[in-house]
Amino acid sequence: MMLLTCPNCGARNVSEFRYVGEAKSRPDPETATPEQWRRYLYFHRNPAGWISETWYHGSGCRRYFGIERNTVDNAQRSAAGTAGATS
Amino acid sequence: MSDIAAPIARTALSFPGPLRTVDGWETTARHATGGLRLTDLGPLVKLTVRGPADGSVRTALGTSFGRTARPRGGPLAGALVVGSGPGEWLVLGAPGTGGELLAGVGAIVADSGEFASVVDVTHGRALVRLTGEAAPLLLSKVCAIDLTDRVVPNGSAFRSSVARVVTDVVRDDRADGAARTRSYLLHCERSSGQYLADSLVDAGIEYGIEVGAAAADPI
Amino acid sequence: MTRPGARRRAAADHRLGARPGEVIDRSRTIEFRWNGVTHTAHPGDTIASALAAAGVRMFARSYKYHRPRGLLTADIFDPGAILQVGDEPNVRAAHRLVEPGMDVRSQNTWPSLRYDVKAVNQLAGRFLATGFYYKTFIKPERLWPTYEKVLRQFVHAGEVPPDSEQPYFDKRYAHPDVLVAGGGPAGLAAALSAARAGARVMLVEQEHQLGGHLRWGDADDLRLRDELVAAVEAEAGIEVLTDSVVAARYDDNWLALVQRGLPHVAERLIKARAGTLVVAAGLIERPYVFAGNDLPGVMLSTAVRRLLNLYAVRPGRRAVVFTANPEGDAAAADLRAAGVDVVEVDARHGRTVVRATGRGGVEAVELSDGSRIEADLLVTAIGWTAPTSLLNMSGANPVYRPDAARFVPDPGATPDGVIAVGGIAGDGTREELVAHAEAAGREAAARASALAAVHAAGRPDGPAATPRPAEPVPALGLRHHPELFYATPTGGFVDMSEDVSAKDILTAVKEGYDSSELVKRYTTATMGPAQGKLETVNTVALVAHATGKTIAETGATTWRPMYTPITLGALAGRKFEPVRHSPVQPWHEAHKATPLIAGQWIRPEHYGDPAAEVRNVRAGVGIIDVTPIGKLDLQGPDVPKLLNLLYVNKWSKLGIGRVRYGVMCAEDGVVLDDGVTGRLAENHYLMSTTSSGAGTVWEWAENWLQTEHPEWQIHITPVTTAFASINVAGPKSRELLARLTDVDLDNTAFGYMNVRTGTIAGVDNCVLWRIGFTGELSYELHVPASYGLHVWEALMATGADLGIAPFGVEAQRILRLEKGHFIVGQDTDGLTKAYSAGLDRVVKLDKSDFAGKPELAWQAARGEYPMLVGLRPLDTSVIPEEASQIISDGGYIVGRITSSRLSPTLGHPICLGQVDAHLADPGTRLTVRLRNGSDTTVEVTAEHAHFDPEGERQRV
Repeated sequence: MMLLTCPNCGARNVSEFRYVGEAKSRPDPETATPEQWRRYLYFHRNPAGWISETWYHGSGCRRYFGIERNTVDNAQRSAAGTAGATS
Repeated sequence: MSDIAAPIARTALSFPGPLRTVDGWETTARHATGGLRLTDLGPLVKLTVRGPADGSVRTALGTSFGRTARPRGGPLAGALVVGSGPGEWLVLGAPGTGGELLAGVGAIVADSGEFASVVDVTHGRALVRLTGEAAPLLLSKVCAIDLTDRVVPNGSAFRSSVARVVTDVVRDDRADGAARTRSYLLHCERSSGQYLADSLVDAGIEYGIEVGAAAADPI
Repeated sequence: MTRPGARRRAAADHRLGARPGEVIDRSRTIEFRWNGVTHTAHPGDTIASALAAAGVRMFARSYKYHRPRGLLTADIFDPGAILQVGDEPNVRAAHRLVEPGMDVRSQNTWPSLRYDVKAVNQLAGRFLATGFYYKTFIKPERLWPTYEKVLRQFVHAGEVPPDSEQPYFDKRYAHPDVLVAGGGPAGLAAALSAARAGARVMLVEQEHQLGGHLRWGDADDLRLRDELVAAVEAEAGIEVLTDSVVAARYDDNWLALVQRGLPHVAERLIKARAGTLVVAAGLIERPYVFAGNDLPGVMLSTAVRRLLNLYAVRPGRRAVVFTANPEGDAAAADLRAAGVDVVEVDARHGRTVVRATGRGGVEAVELSDGSRIEADLLVTAIGWTAPTSLLNMSGANPVYRPDAARFVPDPGATPDGVIAVGGIAGDGTREELVAHAEAAGREAAARASALAAVHAAGRPDGPAATPRPAEPVPALGLRHHPELFYATPTGGFVDMSEDVSAKDILTAVKEGYDSSELVKRYTTATMGPAQGKLETVNTVALVAHATGKTIAETGATTWRPMYTPITLGALAGRKFEPVRHSPVQPWHEAHKATPLIAGQWIRPEHYGDPAAEVRNVRAGVGIIDVTPIGKLDLQGPDVPKLLNLLYVNKWSKLGIGRVRYGVMCAEDGVVLDDGVTGRLAENHYLMSTTSSGAGTVWEWAENWLQTEHPEWQIHITPVTTAFASINVAGPKSRELLARLTDVDLDNTAFGYMNVRTGTIAGVDNCVLWRIGFTGELSYELHVPASYGLHVWEALMATGADLGIAPFGVEAQRILRLEKGHFIVGQDTDGLTKAYSAGLDRVVKLDKSDFAGKPELAWQAARGEYPMLVGLRPLDTSVIPEEASQIISDGGYIVGRITSSRLSPTLGHPICLGQVDAHLADPGTRLTVRLRNGSDTTVEVTAEHAHFDPEGERQRV
């Protein structure tokens, strides 16, 4: 089981987390076309390499956070300016 | 309204054996004398506080995420304040002190000028204390966190999975004169409390775990 | 079966005099039984060594052909000594220590080990052709059950009697800085130097003693073993686990260990997160492939030295030692010293063994020069296999080195957290290997320490850490070794566990399975209990020969977890299956409620007669424990913004003291959850969710707050079990509750869809909502959970004269179905958007953003979508099973029944179902295909509600 580094709690077993998905910005629901909206809902880049992701630390601090992970070797680095408010 | 017997409060945990009622709480009357014991602290007052991680609420509560504090004076004197999350605290007080504690924390929240809140979860959580030198060995059977001093020293707290239940674990060693005994508070959502306690007892059989309070244990 | 009279004591006449390195305690003698015969052993003996001491050569019959098999490796990997011990099958008899009274049997031999009927398979070998599983028992498919029965008779996998005692399997976590896999000289030295550098070390050895090959070596070997073991035992920072195995390595040095031989438990699974893994697995001796190589009496040199030097057992009287290395020479010397006649065949001088012959065991050995030697023991020492499993699992595939005749780890490919030491890493003198391991141990400790600092920095208030780059560990050299794999490519067995012959490999390649991986799967070579440790390299060599490639080009198969087969019990470990209880649970149990497992919750399904419970609610008053209903405490000035975002309906104008029903959809418009939210105070709300949706909705709401709207001032606290929730339902519910509360219950003061707080049965801070899932006048009480049982008992006592009765989940399901209320996840599914659930009046497309809005707008515009409808079977004696298909339009599936019950109130069956849009008009008749294949007709009703569609009863 890989470790995932929570920005609040530190490195923990990945089983403490829920994978939310690739970090994406939500299109404006008022103006989005069906194609744009469904691209947001269902399409994933899924690259072999670095990817920005959102995770939820459900068994720990219960915070959503962004992280960059290399899908080839699971190397991680903190994502700048991502989600994860602390209050 | 008709006449009804005085309300009896019951903690999340029940164990075989005699019961006793103290301050309106019915709990096990079992007495533990051994070196490893699990004590039901369900009747303790439990408040959760939310606010900015670094602000005047944090200053007034005296600790932050991952650490504990025992204020000596002020409105929280005698309580244990646990930094249970980023911008999240758990305040534990003696049974029956709910009114004063809630008022004390409420004043801190109101005076802070910050967006902060307090919720009384006394009835919504299970709370046990696990005391004894074998406590970390026992916990290593149900919790994947490294419990050595360098990771979880006395006075620290973390939240993780314990026997697959999300649990706040607080290292709060007992001091008896010069002697210190390893002790942990485990705090989880109420409905899973019995399962958690049963899991701890099961994991502790090898170390002779007993359920109940020792004479020296403050509740 | 063995009659008691048949038992006799077998003499241990192959036992030698005392040996300097022996591990047996000769001062004591214990007895055990082998196929009904009483044998003796000394403490420290394995089952196999004790039997070998008594002259037993044949231990088992082989897997496919039922050929006699004896000891080959005399260690845990021995494919010839897998036996039944009492109730436990597949015991590795060359590893398991004898215990007094053990009942050891050979597995599935009938009528006896010596006269095995199924050995006829040997004669029928041509029918058990290569890939015979794939070829033989395929067609016709309907006969497979018959094939299976016959095949099972021939497989000797032991047996677990159904009444065998369930042992307790333990589990624990561990966090060593350095974990050393292997307790030979290199592992001991690495553990010592790591611990002396300040690391917490876990040293894991598969065998019963530390020391590895030093144990059966010469006086210098034994002296070094004594020194290293004494130093390790004196070192406080090292936790030693013997008879334990590092079975697997996963990401970030997550290691699965199985610890055996414990006092209180059968086995213990240790999940260890190590800073650095030091792999010191040593080398495993490789068998030689030649005709007759599976006869009892053909052994590896290490097996012979184990038997001689650890157990003082003479493995034969006249031996041929076929040697290509100093270890083989040493075995020959050890045999001579034990009084065995020895003929050495030195491969380094071009001589080879081509065949062993004999009935039931080796009687003669034929050499390449045509000579024939009579012998009862043939020892081979033709090379080594590096058991690189843990390195493969670390992402480093070994590379073949023809000069050393083995695969070796590629140090450039190992991750920083993994270091190989000892024989697996290379060759050297004792001193060189120890020095290398010491350097590796120091570096392992330094890397672990650097990693711990990085982890500490990540924890709250952690000190900053400067990363330390890993420093390389110097490489070991390799000793030259001749390449020896098989005598001829057509004789003998490659895989003794799976009965795969060299010929099978060639046949497989000829049939087109021309890579190691394909040959492995087709022939099952390397897939038996030894998991390739004995067979892989020979298999690769034969594949290389057959394909005309080099061994390096052919490449080894991938080693995957587990390193050694382990029990399912160990994998299961301690069970963690959380269950959740309401505070009223003791009452439910005392009143014989039938339990219902709903997610983690244990709930009362009913108390004996759900239909009576329904009638009592409709006519009088009933109470149900609905504690699992999700409850979220919402505080802050921006709560209405959140409610407007999460729910499809409008929330801006909810007054204090009011409650509103709402539905949540996901971003794809699919119904996610439903419930009511009440406003308790200016900035204080209480939200309820479905029982199963409590966690999901909380996380969903937090996701919006934390990632999309961190500027909103809202705090959410889950309070599901802070309250015991009790629904009081029925026309007499107001009369009952009035006896217990200070809240004014008059319809004008506390009307439908309102919320109040007050005292119930002397308990303060209770929340009462007036809502109705059952369709009756009802109050949902949320009582501080510690008082839940008290309030429940007070209600039961106070309502006795009103005929109060508890009702369970089943009665509630019927009551809500009579009212046509859908259940998310039962009447809706993962594709059901809000309009399909009949929520036209709830969805407000004219409010600004809410979750799911775009998809719902498009659904509404498109029009054609499946509809949830009320359905009434015309034949009132038929209650269609839930999930029955609705058939129409010439046999197509056009929908399904989602809920179906007999209504005790109406006296006829009622249903909800989803059907295609054009069939959803009231009065439409539809065909339902029942489970028994027959059809019945249902009619679409005007409303979802079959009872009181106007909802008058809940507003009184």
